[in-house]
Amino acid sequence: MKRILFAFIVVLVSVSFAKNASAQSEEELVQICGMIAKDATFLKDFRIKLDAGDPPPVQRVPVILKKDVKYRFSVCNSKDFEGKVVLQLFDNNRMLATTYVIATGKDYPTIDWVCTKTGAYHLFFSFRDGKAGLAVGLLSMVEMM
Amino acid sequence: MSRRLLYILLVLVVTASVSSCKSCSNSDDLSQDLVVPDSIAFNDPVPVLGETVIEEMMQNIASPVETAALIKGLKVPFNKDFLLTTKASEKFNTSFEKSLALGIYGCDLGYLNMYEKSSFVIDYIQVIKRLADDIQVGQFFDFSTLKRLATNNENLDSLVTISQQSFSRIDNYLRESNRPMLSAVIVAGLWVEGSYLTTRVAQVSNHKRIRETLGEQKTILIFLLKVLKVYEKDPSMAKFLTDIEKVKALYDDVKITYEVGEPEMVEEDGVIVFKQTDKQIVEMSDETYQKIIDSIQKLRADLTKF
Repeated sequence: MKRILFAFIVVLVSVSFAKNASAQSEEELVQICGMIAKDATFLKDFRIKLDAGDPPPVQRVPVILKKDVKYRFSVCNSKDFEGKVVLQLFDNNRMLATTYVIATGKDYPTIDWVCTKTGAYHLFFSFRDGKAGLAVGLLSMVEMM
Repeated sequence: MSRRLLYILLVLVVTASVSSCKSCSNSDDLSQDLVVPDSIAFNDPVPVLGETVIEEMMQNIASPVETAALIKGLKVPFNKDFLLTTKASEKFNTSFEKSLALGIYGCDLGYLNMYEKSSFVIDYIQVIKRLADDIQVGQFFDFSTLKRLATNNENLDSLVTISQQSFSRIDNYLRESNRPMLSAVIVAGLWVEGSYLTTRVAQVSNHKRIRETLGEQKTILIFLLKVLKVYEKDPSMAKFLTDIEKVKALYDDVKITYEVGEPEMVEEDGVIVFKQTDKQIVEMSDETYQKIIDSIQKLRADLTKF
């Protein structure tokens, strides 16, 4: 009987603990990403959630960027998932910028982009090695050039 | 005794599990508390965007921050007469009109924030909060923080950021809650007011960047119309489209060409910077330029006078 009682107490404590230790929310990630972007002015956030896959699934976001603006792209990953997000900026089929440079294997949580042409661009978000992931991408403005 | 204790524990476990589930699923989803009243529900079936179309919907079509930064960057002095008066907000009645007004006042707020005119900001955030409440998105507008920042004239960067984040949350929520048309209308309001402010600046500044900015609205207008046309069966949207198409027609005489270059990657102050080297050339006659200015000002006047 004592064992059963003990088991119940363990379950009760575990449930109470689980209630408080909730997963990292997207809103928290937006705030963290805002800190990574430092003093750049917030423009838009993008919430990225992708399942694991081969080839790696991609979330595509069309976005208007304007001439003479220095933009900042920041990314941050949820600690609850294994996937590390990669952001790539495309103009038609040309990749213009990325947060992960394959040649050096370096990841950048923040990159800046100096735009010289107003128009539609595409942001491609994926997770390295096709792992499942949750992340937030942030578009902000650094300055007018 | 032991059985009674066992029973109490069982009840506690079940209660804790149920409350835990509730708090987890709804902790960040304010939308669960909302019921859209009949007054703002659509009588006619409004096309609902499929998931793919929503994913494809263009982002950052009109941003008050970029427009205001451009104007301020050209050293054009602040002018309150450029803005729509807060008193005019009483004229907007339907959810369509209120969404449009939300965009217009959102742009004006961006202009005020950029020039750090916090004394005017409070009136504008009050109007925006009321309009947002009227279309059931007021909970995403961080009114108390904005009011505190503006009242105390403190941390004006945060004022800009929180304003932007509030609009971004409203936009996200409307898209996710089967009311994406209102999101598109807010964006349209932002575009109309941003373009209007640019035309007002064009009348006091001959800076070539202002002329180019008005010219390049051709590109942006194409994408904005694409989004708005999804809802063209809605009578209010149909009327709005008729008006905005008149502006678009003038842009047929604006020629935009590009010279393609290879992007460069450099490191500046510890940050990786990618620099585009493409060139954009915008050409239009003085007559077309003046017609565009007039038509945008007429559009804005028509939308704000009932």
